[in-house]
Amino acid sequence: MLKIENLSVSYGSVRALSDVDLEVLGDGILHGVIGPNGAGKSTLLDAVCGRRRPVAGTVHYRNEDITRRSVAWRRRQGMARSFQRTSVFQDLTVHEQLYLVAQHLGDNRLDDVIEVMDLAGYLHQKAGRIAYGVQRRVDVALALIGRPHLLLLDEPGAGLSAAETLHLFEHLRDLVRERKIAAVVVEHDVDAVFACCGKVTVLDLGRHLATGTPQEIRADHRVVAAYLGTAA
Amino acid sequence: MSNRTTTAASERVAPLGAIGGSSLRVPLTLVAVAIVFVVGAVAPTRFAGDFALRLGNEGLLLGMLALSVAFLMNQAGLVALGAASIYGGSGLLFAIAMNDWNLTPMVALCVAFLIIVVYATVLGALIVRTNPLAFMMLTLAAGEMISHAVMLEALRDYTGGADGLVVSFKGTVFGMEAADFASPARFWVVMWVAAWLSGLALWAVGRSRLGAILRAVRENEERMRFSGFDTYLPRLIAYVLVNIVAAVAGLLHVLNAGFVSPESLGISVSTNSLVAALMGGIAGSVGPLLGGVIFSFAQDEFGARGLTQLLTGIAIVVFIVVFPRGVVGGLSSMAWLRKLGGRREAS
Ligand SMILES: Nc1ncnc2c1ncn2[C@@H]1O[C@H](COP(=O)(O)OP(=O)(O)O)[C@@H](O)[C@H]1O
Ligand SMILES: [Mg+2]
Repeated sequence: MLKIENLSVSYGSVRALSDVDLEVLGDGILHGVIGPNGAGKSTLLDAVCGRRRPVAGTVHYRNEDITRRSVAWRRRQGMARSFQRTSVFQDLTVHEQLYLVAQHLGDNRLDDVIEVMDLAGYLHQKAGRIAYGVQRRVDVALALIGRPHLLLLDEPGAGLSAAETLHLFEHLRDLVRERKIAAVVVEHDVDAVFACCGKVTVLDLGRHLATGTPQEIRADHRVVAAYLGTAA
Repeated sequence: MSNRTTTAASERVAPLGAIGGSSLRVPLTLVAVAIVFVVGAVAPTRFAGDFALRLGNEGLLLGMLALSVAFLMNQAGLVALGAASIYGGSGLLFAIAMNDWNLTPMVALCVAFLIIVVYATVLGALIVRTNPLAFMMLTLAAGEMISHAVMLEALRDYTGGADGLVVSFKGTVFGMEAADFASPARFWVVMWVAAWLSGLALWAVGRSRLGAILRAVRENEERMRFSGFDTYLPRLIAYVLVNIVAAVAGLLHVLNAGFVSPESLGISVSTNSLVAALMGGIAGSVGPLLGGVIFSFAQDEFGARGLTQLLTGIAIVVFIVVFPRGVVGGLSSMAWLRKLGGRREAS
């Protein structure tokens, strides 16, 4: 589904990602990405979805080199993302924005998205007026429209309590499994990631540290040293 | 996330389109609008003098420019300060096409219109990508460039320089002779219809999918791209569309005046249309058109006292403080409040 090779991204002189290789399969499991603050997790999603041009390396999506494709093109090809800092249309009602995008992407099953993200009670309120936690769900809902093949979610649990985050992750896990799609989820809540992700990648200082099952990652001494510490 | 309401989802999606209960109100509104249209077209030509009609005509011309400025502001969040170069430019091209290229009035009109649309498209293609502030400065710069180019000595033979150009045509344009366009009463009917058509056209665009996309892009362009939308083309289309309205106003203006002056390309035309839009209210089509008419009559009143600039300045401040959403925005929110109050009393 997604194959990243030798990916490097810089912000001016700051190298945010160096030489990252990663493969994500479309096999219906959540692929978690963890790592300390500033490890380059968001940058990785940015490079995959086209928000940032990499300085080196390639991104293949469904066996096609898409490194130079536009954001909108990628979205229309089924690559969707949500944002670490909520990005919704504050001035539109929840329904207006979901409907606008659904129409554009030719998705006539908006009800499914509304149900999965539990937004039925908020449809006619402006997104700017609803609670932050609900706005997060609108953000994810926007990404779910159009039956994407690859979901890129940047800290969907940010601003939610641990219980809410776990709940959201369980939702996402079931959804991804049902639809047999691929999903990369960046998250700082390690417990939720280990509980729900089938695969986990650890980034540290812009480098790929390890990828494996939650058990393998927990047992990996480099990961423990760099990130998990004694807590794991 | 815990209490999932699975039943209501589909029901709640539907009612947006279906407005139940107001089936009678729509035809009534239509009838009222039709009456206003007919009365507005005919009554002034019977009861108003030539002088008032001239001010009214100027007001509607300015109103059409205000309409184009307001639409772009309201839908796309872009403030354009280049209405003058389209308004004056189309008139100037019309005159040149007849005088120098020896085209018939009708053909000259079409050629002038097409050149302006091409110009607006090329300019728009270059500038709608930028941020709102840069956009404003670029429209201003392009407008100033054109208005100075017109005054160049080298182009004087074409443009008439500071003297402007006389536009006199023989034959008919849309079945009207030059004298018909010059008659304040006849021209009022033309202007009235043109203002309505442009107002309705932009109103319809605002309510269409394009309008919804423009407003969403205005609000969060990045999220729109991440939702698969091309955010450039809709803005370009909007830019060309509003300039078509401005070009039509410019052509009507020369047909009426029989003359193009370099002032019609000047910055004050652009700023006046912005002020008229703010006075009337940018959130619809009625506001800007009304703003244009108010502005025109107010200018005359102020001019009679020899204090045009001062009183205009004061009026702008008063308008923006008392009616921050323009006359129409202010009145409609008052009407809404009253209705709300009435309903509360009734219940
Ligand atoms: N827009 C930016 N400009 C400059 N540096 C940035 C920018 N965004 C991120 N960085 C830097 O890139 C590195 C990786 O950031 P990021 O991908 O946001 O990390 P994470 O999401 O893992 O916390 C950090 O050192 C951060 O300071
Ligand atoms: Mg981040």
